[in-house]
Amino acid sequence: MSTDDDMREALDTFVTEARDLVQQLEEGLLDLEVRPAAADTVNTVFRAAHTLKGSSGLFGLRHLVQFTHVVETVLGSVREGDLEVSPGLVSALLPCADHIGTMIEGLAGGRLEPDAAQAAEGAALLAGLEPYLGDGPGATAVRHAEDAGAAPERSWRLSLRFGADCLRNGMDPLSFLRYLGSIGTVSRVSVDDSGLPAAEQMDPETCYLAFEAELLSGAPKEEIEAVFEFVREDSDIRIVPAEHQLDAYVRAIRAMPESDRVGDVLISSGAVTELEMAEALHIQQEQAVRSGTRPVPIGEILVEHGIVPRPIVDAALNRQRKTIETRSQDTQTIRIDAARLDRLIDLVGELVIAQSSTGLRAGAGGEAQSEVMRLVDEVRHSALALRMVPIGTTLRRFERVVRDVCVELGKEVSLVITGGDAEMDKALVERISDPLLHLVRNSLDHGIEAPAERRRHGKAAQGTLRLNAYHDAGNIVIEVGDDGRGLDREKILAKAVERGVVDADAVLTDAEVHDLIFEPGFSTASTVSSLSGRGVGMDVVRRNVTGLRGSIEVETTRGAGTTIRIRLPLTLAIIDGFLVGVGPSSFIVPLDRVTEIVELPSGPLGRDCMNLRGEVLPFIRLRDLFDIPGEPARRQSVVIVEQSGQRTGLVVDALLGELQTVIKPLGVLFSGLSCISGSTILGSGEIALILDVGPLVADHSEREHVRARRAA
Amino acid sequence: MAKTILIVDDSASVRQVVSIALKGAGYDVIAGVDGKDALAKLNGQRIHLIISDVNMPNMDGITFVAEARKLPAYKFTPIIMLTTESQEDKKRQAQAAGAKAWVTKPFQPEQMLSAVAKLIAP
Repeated sequence: MSTDDDMREALDTFVTEARDLVQQLEEGLLDLEVRPAAADTVNTVFRAAHTLKGSSGLFGLRHLVQFTHVVETVLGSVREGDLEVSPGLVSALLPCADHIGTMIEGLAGGRLEPDAAQAAEGAALLAGLEPYLGDGPGATAVRHAEDAGAAPERSWRLSLRFGADCLRNGMDPLSFLRYLGSIGTVSRVSVDDSGLPAAEQMDPETCYLAFEAELLSGAPKEEIEAVFEFVREDSDIRIVPAEHQLDAYVRAIRAMPESDRVGDVLISSGAVTELEMAEALHIQQEQAVRSGTRPVPIGEILVEHGIVPRPIVDAALNRQRKTIETRSQDTQTIRIDAARLDRLIDLVGELVIAQSSTGLRAGAGGEAQSEVMRLVDEVRHSALALRMVPIGTTLRRFERVVRDVCVELGKEVSLVITGGDAEMDKALVERISDPLLHLVRNSLDHGIEAPAERRRHGKAAQGTLRLNAYHDAGNIVIEVGDDGRGLDREKILAKAVERGVVDADAVLTDAEVHDLIFEPGFSTASTVSSLSGRGVGMDVVRRNVTGLRGSIEVETTRGAGTTIRIRLPLTLAIIDGFLVGVGPSSFIVPLDRVTEIVELPSGPLGRDCMNLRGEVLPFIRLRDLFDIPGEPARRQSVVIVEQSGQRTGLVVDALLGELQTVIKPLGVLFSGLSCISGSTILGSGEIALILDVGPLVADHSEREHVRARRAA
Repeated sequence: MAKTILIVDDSASVRQVVSIALKGAGYDVIAGVDGKDALAKLNGQRIHLIISDVNMPNMDGITFVAEARKLPAYKFTPIIMLTTESQEDKKRQAQAAGAKAWVTKPFQPEQMLSAVAKLIAP
């Protein structure tokens, strides 16, 4: 009979035996429901699970091993008295017994591993047992005999001092030496018989001999160490790299990645095993306790006890020193309270204002004055830099989101993050996190197709989601890009018409159509999924972004993917603005919005629009908008601002020049105000309101729309 | 002559698989279903190595090992105990009783073979 036949027969035995055990398990559990404290039943049930696990392992039935391991762990804590039998516990365990039974019947039919449905059922059942699991070990995997890869052969010196009781324990030293021959080539074995007493004093049951040997083997040190696992405790076993190999270790350690722990360096170089390190640490601790002094460096202990030769320890220490040196140069950080930082920024803001006030009084001239200006500018920059944090931490948080959402949707997506070291104001980072989350989910939900669909279109089954951040002209740009299906112009347009967002006969450019996804109440997903919400998403994203004085745009190619680009100022605290006057009031227009300034043409004009080099430019009279009393100046100017590709003019009385200013938020009372984003104190002590261009333009065109319709 | 190994386990499938593996490696194998049965089998045989489970009906593995060690012929026979990771205390007890080697359950046949090979040649 061949071994295969034997194994098949053994498997049959296992099936018969397992059926019995499952039955025992089931009956026992039912019994426990009636008599929860029956110790003998608890024992039987535990042993049934235990035996099932052990035997399944023998046949390499991984699913059964992992499953029964958890059941056994729960029953183990019942047996130890850590867990009481409750009706809930029994109801959780009974279906587990059924599951094991199903698996066994599958086995009888020749199926070694569960199908997908059974695997899912198993996972669900284990989840039900979760509440009963203590902090004990979780799932355990079947240990597989390690296959020796083609590792380079190394030469080791073995020093084997077996314990005196070795023979009495049934351990034959020569047997271990023989076994060594199966993992490498043993040479130069020498016997140290110096421990051998005179013949008349010799006890034939005691082991007196020690051995030295050389081993040439490709096996890792752990495996060589494992040869002696049964005698390790009573013996003194040393496995060190042979002298002529020391250089190789030293070179390997020099080339290793940074680490500030000597132990880690030594272990990953393969010169020391974790067991040896644990032993050395134990010795270190004992010595320190005994002598009551500071612990001896671990390297010294390793050398002293012959675990590693000194050159290797020295190399590791060098590596550690270098790591620590570079680190201390790189980032010596202190943590400070954010409130203190805000106070400093506030003060610097006041300083900027005070400085522009002295600038007004002293006039533009004077070397001292310009020196002060330069310094204040530098102080301001440094203070703002204090608030800057890399955006990487926020972006990396999405790794988990991508993973979870992919599992939920059955998609395969890899997340690529670039530019994580781009810095921006901490307050901004916090506030941009939610809109980004929405964009990421949206890409995963609507953008990237399911694997099957991707394959049909000749794409890789795994989609890619890119998060990229970079600085551009005093702004930070964050991109969320996918290689999914891209936006569908026709679908968007159809939906927009259906929702009444645009007229059926409207002629729109691609960019205009794509912008429609940011309109309130717009959603193209035909089925509402739990992820990207119910069409409240993208308009909220845009509102949040513009609320941060930023802008958002979309770039898409049909079938190849979509990229959403968010552009934000680096900080919310200071603004580069253009100061304008309307009657007695002053306003600040954010400078990055201003494209040009022209004079308001005299003579007859269309209603709120003018001719700018042959194009129609709508404008807003700030005087009308804010109901400022008084007559307009004789010569008015138009500050032209751009928002989402649309240009609008703001009609003002006076142009007062550029200035840099600290934004003071308006009080809660004005939080609902849509066209004003904040205020600032001018050098003269007057207050100027900062215009929020986005809503200002949007509100205006909406009002115009309404008026136009009414007129029609 | 091939060396003889006694495998003691109350699970028939464990006995069967271990036997197949050991026989394949050139050992002779006899089996015992529990401690009591195994103890009886020790008499009148020359056994070179014992493998025993811990949890068994009638007589558990630790009692069996302690009893076996009392027999002059088995004073120094190598004994491998089948332990589990969660039973560190059982492993200690088994070592005190005289079983200094162990294989952790669940194991695969190759792991058993390498543990045996460390202790005796076929």
